[in-house]
Amino acid sequence: MPTIIIDDREIEVAPGTKVIEAAEQLGIMIPRFCYHPALGSVGACRVCAVKFLQGPFKGVQMSCMVDAQDDMVVSTTDKEAVAFRKYVIECLMLHHPHDCPVCDAGGHCLLQDMTVSGGHGIRRYLGKKRTYPDQYLGPLIQHEMNRCIHCYRCSRFYQDFGGYHDLGAMQSANQTYFGRFEEGILESPFSGNLIDICPTGVYTDKPSRYFGRRWDYERSPSLCINCSLGCQTVVSCRYRKVVRQEARLSESVNGHFICDRGRYGFFYNSLAQRPRSCIVDDQTTSVDQALAAVKQKLETFADKDRAQAVACAGSTRNSLETLAMVKHVCQTNRWQPPAYFEDAAATYKLKSAISRLEPDLTVSLREIESADFIAVLGADPLNEAPMLALALRQAQRKGATVAVFDPRPIFLPFEFKHLPANLDMIQTDLGALLNAALEPAALKKLDGSAREFYASLATVKQISAARQAEIVALAELLKASQRPIIVCGTEMVRRQTPALAADYALLMQAAGKSVGLFYVMPGANGFAAGLLADEDVSVETLIAGIEKGSIKMLILVESNPLWQFPDRHRLEQALQQLEVLVVMDYINSEVAQKADIFLPTTTLYETGGVYVNQEGRAQGVKPAYQGGIPIAQTGHGDHPPRVYGTEIPGAEPQAAWQLLAHLIGTGQPLTAEDLRAEIWQWLAKIDSGFKALPCVADIQPQGARFFQAPHAAERFLRERPIGGADNDGQLEVMAVEMTFGTEELSADSACLKALAGSPVIFMYSSDAKQLNLTDGDRVSVELNGGAVEARLQVTANMAAGMLIIPRHKDLDWQKMNTDKTFVHKDQIRKLKD
Amino acid sequence: MNDAVEAVKALAIGFATTFKHLFRKPITEEYPEYKRPLPARSRARIILTRDPDGAERCVACYLCSAVCPVSCISMQSAENEDGRRYAQWFRINFARCIYCGLCEEACPTSAIQLTPEFENCENDILALVYEKKNLLVDHQGKDKEYNYYKYAGVATEVGKKGEHVKEERPVNIKSNLP
Amino acid sequence: MLNWIVGFTILIVKLGVVLLVLLLLAAYLVWLERKFLARLQIRYGPNRAGKFGLLQPIADTIKMLTKEDIVPAAADRFIFLLAPAVVATTALMMFAVVPFGSHLTLWGRQIPLVITDLNVGLLYVFALSSLGVYGVAMGGWASNSKYSLLGGIRGAAQMISYELALGLSLVPVVMLAGSFSIVDIVNAQAKYPFIIVQPFAFVIFMISAMAESKRIPFDLPEAENELGAGYHTEYSGIRFGLFFLGEYVHLQILGALVAVLFLGGWRGPILPPPVWLFMKMIFVALIMIWVRGTLPRLRYDQLMALGWKVLIPLALVNIMVTGAILLI
Repeated sequence: MPTIIIDDREIEVAPGTKVIEAAEQLGIMIPRFCYHPALGSVGACRVCAVKFLQGPFKGVQMSCMVDAQDDMVVSTTDKEAVAFRKYVIECLMLHHPHDCPVCDAGGHCLLQDMTVSGGHGIRRYLGKKRTYPDQYLGPLIQHEMNRCIHCYRCSRFYQDFGGYHDLGAMQSANQTYFGRFEEGILESPFSGNLIDICPTGVYTDKPSRYFGRRWDYERSPSLCINCSLGCQTVVSCRYRKVVRQEARLSESVNGHFICDRGRYGFFYNSLAQRPRSCIVDDQTTSVDQALAAVKQKLETFADKDRAQAVACAGSTRNSLETLAMVKHVCQTNRWQPPAYFEDAAATYKLKSAISRLEPDLTVSLREIESADFIAVLGADPLNEAPMLALALRQAQRKGATVAVFDPRPIFLPFEFKHLPANLDMIQTDLGALLNAALEPAALKKLDGSAREFYASLATVKQISAARQAEIVALAELLKASQRPIIVCGTEMVRRQTPALAADYALLMQAAGKSVGLFYVMPGANGFAAGLLADEDVSVETLIAGIEKGSIKMLILVESNPLWQFPDRHRLEQALQQLEVLVVMDYINSEVAQKADIFLPTTTLYETGGVYVNQEGRAQGVKPAYQGGIPIAQTGHGDHPPRVYGTEIPGAEPQAAWQLLAHLIGTGQPLTAEDLRAEIWQWLAKIDSGFKALPCVADIQPQGARFFQAPHAAERFLRERPIGGADNDGQLEVMAVEMTFGTEELSADSACLKALAGSPVIFMYSSDAKQLNLTDGDRVSVELNGGAVEARLQVTANMAAGMLIIPRHKDLDWQKMNTDKTFVHKDQIRKLKD
Repeated sequence: MNDAVEAVKALAIGFATTFKHLFRKPITEEYPEYKRPLPARSRARIILTRDPDGAERCVACYLCSAVCPVSCISMQSAENEDGRRYAQWFRINFARCIYCGLCEEACPTSAIQLTPEFENCENDILALVYEKKNLLVDHQGKDKEYNYYKYAGVATEVGKKGEHVKEERPVNIKSNLP
Repeated sequence: MLNWIVGFTILIVKLGVVLLVLLLLAAYLVWLERKFLARLQIRYGPNRAGKFGLLQPIADTIKMLTKEDIVPAAADRFIFLLAPAVVATTALMMFAVVPFGSHLTLWGRQIPLVITDLNVGLLYVFALSSLGVYGVAMGGWASNSKYSLLGGIRGAAQMISYELALGLSLVPVVMLAGSFSIVDIVNAQAKYPFIIVQPFAFVIFMISAMAESKRIPFDLPEAENELGAGYHTEYSGIRFGLFFLGEYVHLQILGALVAVLFLGGWRGPILPPPVWLFMKMIFVALIMIWVRGTLPRLRYDQLMALGWKVLIPLALVNIMVTGAILLI
């Protein structure tokens, strides 16, 4: 452990620590432009110069390029170093334009800070300034190259860290340019991070362009609820509007970065069409009156037998408070148990995944970066949880092998092994890989059920010949791996797959490897919803109940089955059969427009809440602002209204859990704090795992991880499908998630529309050949509920016998059965353009 | 003793001075009857000026609202069709303004200026909240020359990249020649 | 019985007249001070309300009466409300022993032109003056504000210190007159006013009197630029008005005392006695305003040093010298 003295203060640091990092540990911020903890050092900007007074070498050196060593004595305030830095800044400023007033980085610009603090106020250079053309980089990022100081952070992030190659350095010497070869939308779904890392204003946020200055924003820590990973963000609000979201450093979840879906997924919060007032039978009313209307309707179902005719559904975008309250209301009022998921299988898969997450298996997103072998089973990282792809990329950069067992046309921004097979085969393939990789010697210690499980694994010879060679090659790598991780999806896969993934992990653990298990779950609060859900209840069973006539009143709490439920026709029929439909939501969803009674609720940014990510990490956030209609909307684009008053217009919405509390008993409504405390008590009764959950105010920034209460979850399943039957010339239809355009909240972001593109249906190349279809054809697929039309994309990079349909907003894909859907090949027709 | 004499002398001089004042004509200027001509740089009512080409100078950079010690300036910046940043709305609450002139000092485009016109009292306090249309004037104020966009380097109708004061032609990014 | 009723009526009438004149005079003394001070500083002074601003005191009174009377939440309510009354009452009561003429003969009755001729009149004045300190101290303490408290403490310390010098400076006067009754003192000046034989006592008394009435340069208890307004920072409306009134009544009393003790009181040729007294009072007030217009405020230690190290020894020496001369 080298000990180094910086500015007369001694510090012991880990070997390999750079001097700039050692100084940071002491609280000394050495100026930097090119150095970034996630991107490392390149010594490009020269502004971190310090003077080495004693030690292995002396003189002015770049602190980001020198490892801290024993006997080093460093001064950051030495005259020579200070003068050096000052001249460097002056040189960087030679061509920098005079446009801070119209630059959106002004106010949080590293270059501005350094220029001012370095005392460079007067330009001595009298020559002409170099200028650059700017490029259109898509709807998210504004490009202004004149401001560039050539620190290379953007190209290092974009290419080295992110794995995309359409943005980088061009030209040479004093004319080096950062951009694309041709103008166009950036390919990387992580491009928004360029805004965060650029030390000046070359890349600025386009959707919030010219909205305000950092110093005027109400900034507060927040969470991304656009997928199950729960990345930490910083949200900026101004004039009652969420303006911008940035990544927040989290050592356990997302690191320094977030994806563009998360960064720009907040626009639903401030939309003009966001519902702000209660509606009862198409009449706008107050919250009290709407609640009274709900209570009046409920009176019809007051007695014991009739209470079962009321049902309630939440969703995975509910906060933990709302999820718990939904369940509590249903239990107290003896309604039907609440539904959180579309179908029973989803509930089952999630519950089995949660029950199999154990403390010594579960890994966080950041821990994936240090794995050396990663098997992805039935998950599409980039589309389902984009930041997972970035984490896998980091592992791959460090030498890990990534193998993806998934039928979809998987793309990841790095080199990986894709073994496409249908949903039954993928787990068999992974089993065969384990069988080949684990040495029998190591498995001798196994106890009964584990040994039995091992013996039942398929052998390499049992699987498709096409993949045998690849699996044998991967087995060699897995054999050598010390820290393998299994990443498993829970959405598309078969019922047993999540449990099987855990079994595979346990088997590897038994074989002496330090194993990690990582599930990808649907929705931001899938973990908590899964923990609270009753196994055999889902939206589908509610629909069945309505069809039977046993359910007459439905309360949907921040849930929009019309978005997600695969059989739209059936759902719509059922909704019409209802006597009363109550909807509480903060987005103007389709189902909200059909509601008899509608109550607006608040968003995460207005009331905060606790969300449990897919590894069981509960993260709580406080409100970012007070709520209300944005001033831009109340002022109709012009100045804000010229009235005095303390009331916030449009601030009637309450948190869904506060509204629900009114539906229990007749007691005095509790304050938000007391109600939260009560909710926490109920939670602990439902599952003792929640006992480990600190109350909202005590949740630390890194979150609080908890697990389901230990119980006798069955390890090493006996029943599991092996192989997959041929589908008799049928194609299995899979409705899948995409990075942009399929997630409900981010679908409201106008800026992401262009990135979502138009929907395409994927088909395997030889299947397409059989049907005489080619890439780019418009096709019509006859599903159970009618035809779906879209353009076809033919690819060899997916499993045969599958038809992949994105759940794209612009595609009416909800014409499927709730069970497996197959289409005959003759149900696919080519359409004329 | 000397001190005492000195003290008495000093006192006497003081009393004599004030006594003499009794017979002088007061120097008070009586305001509504006599209005003293104020220097051009005296600080009172605030205006938003235009550049010599007649376009609004204000780029809504928020520096004036940031520096304002009483937070009486608020605005919303936006982008117009030709790429200029401008104030969608701009509001000064003169009921709060203390006329310190820091906004004028902070303004990078000479847009916001204080004028000697100080008689702007109102009975209705809301009438003291000035909107952009009340603030915007049709002249350059004290700074007759400056046009910020000639120097800023951003592409607007004032000039494309490389057409502003002291700028080279834009780099050809697809060449490797230095 | 009839005699008693007539005597009582006369007393009530005298009280009414004196009180009316005192209050009116206090109001116009403010006007005089503002006007005169303004001229000393080459300004106009109030000139908007009425001709020469003559209606200014009335405007001020209306303003003071109609303003909200605020009692701070943390204040000691009872004492807070009592304090201004103490200041105003003690000041007004002091005038009871000041003669403004010898006597008037109406319907064969001799009416002495003094409310009451106490044989210990001077001691009565000092006693009330000492009570006035309580008003200041109570106001300062009850406001529960740091500025008020500091003002109150300063006021109490200053007034107690200067009371000594004030009292001692008058001992030679009493020795010369041979009586504590103010009427007797005025009568003793029938030949010549005491200022001629007692110039030192006069100067000491003037300075102490200004300190006693907390006027510039001795206005440390108020000291606007250090303590806000000192002991009456928290007062508003009519209660502030009472403090204000007390101050200006005090100014009149001191003017009257100076006139009575050193300038021969109501004695003077041609003009009727009350007019003489009035003129002498105004003259003293003008001098005090002139002092205010000329001198800056003393520092607290300077104030104390002046009182204890200069005025008191000087007064003692004066007593001894006077005594010696009287003996000889």
